[in-house]
Amino acid sequence: MKYLFAILAALLLMASAVIYASYPDLRSEVPVIYWVTDRNPAREQQVATFHRWLVEQGHVTENGDPMVELRLDTGNNDQSKKIIQGVSGVAGDIMDTGSMDLSYLSQIGILQDVTEVGEEMGFSRGETYEAAASEISVGDRQYGFPCNVTATLLWVNKSTFEKYDQPIPPQRWTLDEFEERGKAFVAAANEPGERQMVFFAADLPLNVMFRSLGLSTFNETMTRCTLDDPRFAEALARKQQWIEEDRILPSTQEREGFDTAGGYGGATLQLFNRGNYGMFPMGRYALIQLRRFGDLDMAVVEPPHGGFPNTTTSARAATVYVGGAHPELAYLFMAYLASKPYNDLVVADADALPPNPAYTQTEAFKRPADHPNEWGLHEPFSDAMEEIAIGGAYSPFVLPSVVWRELDDMEEAVMNRRLTAEEGGQALAATINSRIERNVHQDPALRERYEQLLQQQAQIDALRAAGEPVPVELIENPFYRKYYEHQGWLAETTE
Amino acid sequence: MSMMASPNRRFWTAMTFLAPNILGVLIFVVFPVVFSLVMAFTNWDLRRHNMFKDESLSFVGLRNFADLLADGGFRRYLGNTLYLMIVIPFSIAGSLIAAILLSKDTRGTRRTFLWLIAGSVFVISTVGLVVMGLGGSAMAILLCGVAAAILLGGVFGGVTVYRTLFYLPHFTAGVATFILWRRMYNPETGPINSAVRPVVGTLEAIIATVPTWMIYSVYALGLLMVFAGTVYGLHRLRRLWDDGEVGTRSVIMGSVPMLLPAITAMFWQYTQSLWWLFAAMIAVAVLSQLGIAVVRRRMFTCPAGEGSGSALMIGVLLMTGLFTLLGLTVVVGNLPAMVQAPDAPGLDTPSWIYDYHWAKPSLMIVMLWAAIGSNNMLLYLAALTNVPQELYEAADIDGAKPLQRFWNVTWPQLAPTTFFIAVMSTIGGLQGGFEMARTMTEGGPAGSTTTLAYFIYIEGFETGRLGVAAAASWMLFMLVFAVTMFNWKFGNQYVNE
Repeated sequence: MKYLFAILAALLLMASAVIYASYPDLRSEVPVIYWVTDRNPAREQQVATFHRWLVEQGHVTENGDPMVELRLDTGNNDQSKKIIQGVSGVAGDIMDTGSMDLSYLSQIGILQDVTEVGEEMGFSRGETYEAAASEISVGDRQYGFPCNVTATLLWVNKSTFEKYDQPIPPQRWTLDEFEERGKAFVAAANEPGERQMVFFAADLPLNVMFRSLGLSTFNETMTRCTLDDPRFAEALARKQQWIEEDRILPSTQEREGFDTAGGYGGATLQLFNRGNYGMFPMGRYALIQLRRFGDLDMAVVEPPHGGFPNTTTSARAATVYVGGAHPELAYLFMAYLASKPYNDLVVADADALPPNPAYTQTEAFKRPADHPNEWGLHEPFSDAMEEIAIGGAYSPFVLPSVVWRELDDMEEAVMNRRLTAEEGGQALAATINSRIERNVHQDPALRERYEQLLQQQAQIDALRAAGEPVPVELIENPFYRKYYEHQGWLAETTE
Repeated sequence: MSMMASPNRRFWTAMTFLAPNILGVLIFVVFPVVFSLVMAFTNWDLRRHNMFKDESLSFVGLRNFADLLADGGFRRYLGNTLYLMIVIPFSIAGSLIAAILLSKDTRGTRRTFLWLIAGSVFVISTVGLVVMGLGGSAMAILLCGVAAAILLGGVFGGVTVYRTLFYLPHFTAGVATFILWRRMYNPETGPINSAVRPVVGTLEAIIATVPTWMIYSVYALGLLMVFAGTVYGLHRLRRLWDDGEVGTRSVIMGSVPMLLPAITAMFWQYTQSLWWLFAAMIAVAVLSQLGIAVVRRRMFTCPAGEGSGSALMIGVLLMTGLFTLLGLTVVVGNLPAMVQAPDAPGLDTPSWIYDYHWAKPSLMIVMLWAAIGSNNMLLYLAALTNVPQELYEAADIDGAKPLQRFWNVTWPQLAPTTFFIAVMSTIGGLQGGFEMARTMTEGGPAGSTTTLAYFIYIEGFETGRLGVAAAASWMLFMLVFAVTMFNWKFGNQYVNE
């Protein structure tokens, strides 16, 4: 038996040696930093460009090599892994985060506050879109810089509209117009009595709808969820009507039923290409897949509104791990994200919008030479970022992931007729507000901030009741900052 | 090692060999368990307590447990978990049936002939479907082809082929099969609906032509069968009580699950309007058996708690059957409104995991599929080989029919195995559902498939409330412990009876 053990041990040692020998060299002449990101072939090129950029900028060793080696880590991009590794002290030096994740990870304390260093090194909030500020900040502190930014607009397949002899939607339109045109579209595109295969649009974000009625998930100071408001019920009931009665939009079951393909948006883009969906909501990054279908004849329009035109924006932001060994080198990467070489890559790949808005004014962005059919499709996205895009409302008193889950559950419950739209809104607000109360009750630090913001809210309410303008500094919610401005409710001079 | 080695040396030699295992258990089992128990009494929240935060942990006593009990979500997810566990009796029955079938040899001249005929029928049917254009979908053809292949495989490969096929789900990676099932459940392009759609269409056409009174007659018959089933169950318990095999307290214990379907029907939205009928059913069923018991007097007496295992087993088995019957009856009762009414929506194929009402049954089907050919089947196969042949011979001499042989010989002999499987399945059921829910439904729609295990994951890793997640884990443990103790007490009695 002992010989067997010995043989097995020897075999294992040999296997380990082989694996070690065949593994990429873990040692490096320069410090190595890891970028936890998604599995995207474009990342390789972005890393290579970063190394070249370092040389160009003079961040080199005595031999003239880049002073840092950036390596990809695509196996740990899951949110739970980032949390567990982060609080254990072993997370990647740079982590990609979605907008909601950034808020949570910063609350945990594993993200480096880059407000000051961003100013010094040229990747401050001022270097990106104003609307994206809430996606890379918590309060007045900056925790990341966008790898890319997206504004959601409706992609229109002009061929499908022409096929059914329907007019192309206008750039800006109302919810009523959407409904009217949608009914006409599905009536023209589907045979009566047969299974409906063509829909006006694949979906319409609910939050865009209720925001267009002047309502946000939270109040001005994010101290209370306000989805028990009749405007939320109105938006939800309308969407339900569009799905169940007017059949303008497919139900979740129908959408999921169609979605057998993977990738961004599942099969939505294929169905858009085939003419099953007249429109679908997505950012500029949809072009990555749409280009595979050839030179489609398309247009881009804003989502319909109920009085206040708006759309969502989000960012895939790079953040620096607070426990990393080389934060100063990670900052170089952040600076690179604001640079021309990186932004040019994003522009060329159509991977949403470049983080630096200056690069949306180039010919390469507006009129890509290889894609003449896209001319005129790019500017609406950069324009939307300037005009109608608003970031998410992330209350510091409740986790965004919890809000998202509850909202999703409630929407499904309403669509499955478990609740009416009114009941859904009330139940949702009650649940989220009870979470806020519990969190505030259990966390003294939060309580202090909460009390302060409650006073701020009382001030806003008093000013609004008196019909007086409100100083923008009092408003925490990015939606209301924009909405108040649109309504002319902001005080002209700010402190 | 020398045989003359000192006891001290032998002890340390043994310890050296055992150390890796002991250390592994201590580090990866004992320590986390104890640590999680401590965690359950703290306010550990990742947002406030981690290596980058200064705030220290505080003990909060039972607050986490109280919060959970007051949390509607926790109660709801516990309900989801228990609901999904309804599948356990069916899966045990399925494993047993599979084991019995697989314990028989499929080879042999006569059997071969029969299998070949069955296989040929399938193949000819398939060809017929294709030639006559009646297939409706490629799935029907595929299913027939697969069935034929399996049957013929059994003829040539013997029972080993079937055993392998049945055991296949167990050694296939869970997540991979869940992704496959997710595809199969696709309401538009999934193979299940592709196969079911023509059947539903035909069924709808048939129902549309059937007179409404006939459908309501079937509905009434179903309700009558629920009543008859309840009476039969109580009657059987009374007979056992009469023969001194079951005590009074045990009869009450067995009666409760038996009456549960009728009680539920009084409050269920689909049968609520007939609450008076169900109340009358319960009254008649109970009073009639009580009346007979009083009038006839008991022939043999026994302690009040005697036979509790048997009584409970009969009660639970009948309850499962009655609930199923009640559900089917309600479906039949709703057919006119679904098909024949002027504004009837018609019958449609289910949306499976995308529909609030179908999501749980969809997962239960997957659970059933996975459980039938699991280790349970292997345990039953092993247990079946241990049943003494003399008992069967004695039963044959007594003129027992196949069903009587099963009920009086096989089933009692398998009781210890069934008990073990029931305990393990219950524990597994309470702890399970995470992988499936995360892969197939993400706990939706509207939280309908979020189980306790998934809830613990969300609390721990999505919201970072580690103290609460640990408390939920320990509440789950207490539940598992209580159910196991219950099983132990009454299951053991049943086994020994």
